[in-house]
Amino acid sequence: MKQNAKANSKRRSPYRLPFWARQWGRGSRYHAFLLLVLISLVVAIVGAFVIRDLQASNTEAQVMYTGAVHGLQRIGELQYDTQETRRATLYALTTSDSNLQVEYADQSRAADQRVRDGIAEYATQAEGPGEIKLANNLNQDWTSYLKIRDEILASILEGSTKEAIALDLSSGVPAFERVRLDLNEVKRQYQREAADRLASLVASSHRSTWRLIAILATTFFLSLAAVWMIQRSRMHSAIQLAKLQMEFVASVSHELRTPLAVLSSAADNLADGLVAETSALRKYGAIFQNQSRRMRALVDEILLFASTEDRRKHYILKPVDVTRIIDSVVSSLRELPHAAAFVIDRQTEDHLPMVLGDTLGISQCLHNLVENAVKYSGDQKQITIHTSSHPVTFGHEAEVQISVIDCGIGIDRSELERIFEPFYRSPRVHSLQINGTGLGLSLAKRIAEAMGGRISVASGLSIGSTFKLHLQVAKGEDVQTDQSIDLLARQTNHE
Amino acid sequence: MKLLNKCGTALALALWLQSQMAFAPIAAGLDSGLVDQGVSSEPLAIVVNQSNPLENLTFSELRKVFLGDRSYWTNGRRITVVMREPGEIERKVILHDVCGMTEDQLKNHVLRGLFTGEILVSPKTLSTPAGVRKFIFNVPGGIGYLRISDVDPSVRIVRIDQLLPEDKGYKLHVRMQASD
Repeated sequence: MKQNAKANSKRRSPYRLPFWARQWGRGSRYHAFLLLVLISLVVAIVGAFVIRDLQASNTEAQVMYTGAVHGLQRIGELQYDTQETRRATLYALTTSDSNLQVEYADQSRAADQRVRDGIAEYATQAEGPGEIKLANNLNQDWTSYLKIRDEILASILEGSTKEAIALDLSSGVPAFERVRLDLNEVKRQYQREAADRLASLVASSHRSTWRLIAILATTFFLSLAAVWMIQRSRMHSAIQLAKLQMEFVASVSHELRTPLAVLSSAADNLADGLVAETSALRKYGAIFQNQSRRMRALVDEILLFASTEDRRKHYILKPVDVTRIIDSVVSSLRELPHAAAFVIDRQTEDHLPMVLGDTLGISQCLHNLVENAVKYSGDQKQITIHTSSHPVTFGHEAEVQISVIDCGIGIDRSELERIFEPFYRSPRVHSLQINGTGLGLSLAKRIAEAMGGRISVASGLSIGSTFKLHLQVAKGEDVQTDQSIDLLARQTNHE
Repeated sequence: MKLLNKCGTALALALWLQSQMAFAPIAAGLDSGLVDQGVSSEPLAIVVNQSNPLENLTFSELRKVFLGDRSYWTNGRRITVVMREPGEIERKVILHDVCGMTEDQLKNHVLRGLFTGEILVSPKTLSTPAGVRKFIFNVPGGIGYLRISDVDPSVRIVRIDQLLPEDKGYKLHVRMQASD
């Protein structure tokens, strides 16, 4: 046994991962998700920019059309109407028929009215001092021309053709020329505006293109990064699992080798005829018994884990009295040599209801929890098994809680999530040279869940741990016969 | 030159005689009371351009204007008379009531005036009331006549002897058969 202890003391986990790798492994499962969220966010933001740019371009195009293009079109109409005003006036000169002259005057005035409306529209839309000044000049020059035009028309209608021609040449032509120049200036201004807006539209289009390229590139690179991270995460998980399995094989080998070494040594002694006395033979028989039991328990645990590996193990649930199961587990525990020195305090509530479960399953589960408590209690050799019933609460049905409380080394808060993982063993446990396969808690959790229950844990470093087995309360079913429990008890005694 | 002057004098004399001969039947008609029973009448408004400051004309001033004896308004603008085409009832009223002439007499009168330089512009002739309105609207010195129902805000009505067309005692009316 001393050799075993020595061997245990020398044993270090050769598969322990470095700190950064453990942290990366812990975080990597979230990193891929975070990266995907980040990609979506970036794509959404850049996409929003692109959509905004496209909308801006669309608006720009509409503004350009309604503004500059429509303006140019209106200026074209305005130029035509100014010419029409003058043309109709001059037509009146070509006839001496008063009726025709009046008709031409009418046409001139109608065209003049359209020009006035056009100028008023331009003045309304004018923005900035330059455009307003231009609109005022145009209006002023057109009004001046109209005054002259009225005089010319009056002269024509009065029959003073020479006077009308003289007035037109002296005043009408220069006044109309000023209007024409004004209109050309307005046209140039609209052309400048259209050119500016077109340049803005082109710039906006280029911006959208670049942003689109950026979004595609970003999405591509981030996707690559995400794939890389996911692959790395998977690879890391696979490596970790392989390492855990290697560690498990090493642990199991070690656990098997110890009793095998004892058995081999005892067998050698017997074969060599070194043991002849009856008392010595009995002692050797006890050694064979204990070591073979230890080996069988280990093999049973591995087989049980293998049977629950695919989560297909199903129990036939029946109402069960947990008190008797606890009794059975405690009595079986007392027979274990390393648990003999422990004080096991049982606190059981009166009139506990029956729970829904499987006797062997609950027994196995409790056995693992209690043995776990024994293993990690350190020098504090006290274990409390507290059993109580709890009524229906929010989110939970009525249940019976079996708490296994130890005052041992406790579990680090960061490791609480991982202790139920198969093969997981805390680095601290390794450093404290506590042997195990890393299957006990995982197995207990699976069995509890297979029975519709669960296991919870609360722990503090150097304070101890409390593992709670939550089992559903049976609802009005028949009380289970004690055959299973008796069977269990018989099994225990037999062991 | 002497020959030309003699010819002109002879022409003027001939035209004057013709006009005097034409007055007789019109005057007789007026005396015999042309406003027969069974006819309806509508006032005939004398209209000018909106810019014309003229408010009132006496009947004799109106006659001078239409006969071309007065060529300028008080604001200095040249007077341009506009009339409907021969045969129109409004023209007949003006010829009869204002000018006291027949078509031929007026024609001769204008020709003589233009020839002698007493008339600067011959009356303009328009075929429709709308034409008259537009003419008056376009010509600041224009004056014409319209039935009261044809008047619109583009022209302004002038009082005659301080009377508006709707006033009692207004002298210019278009007389129409009731069957019209």
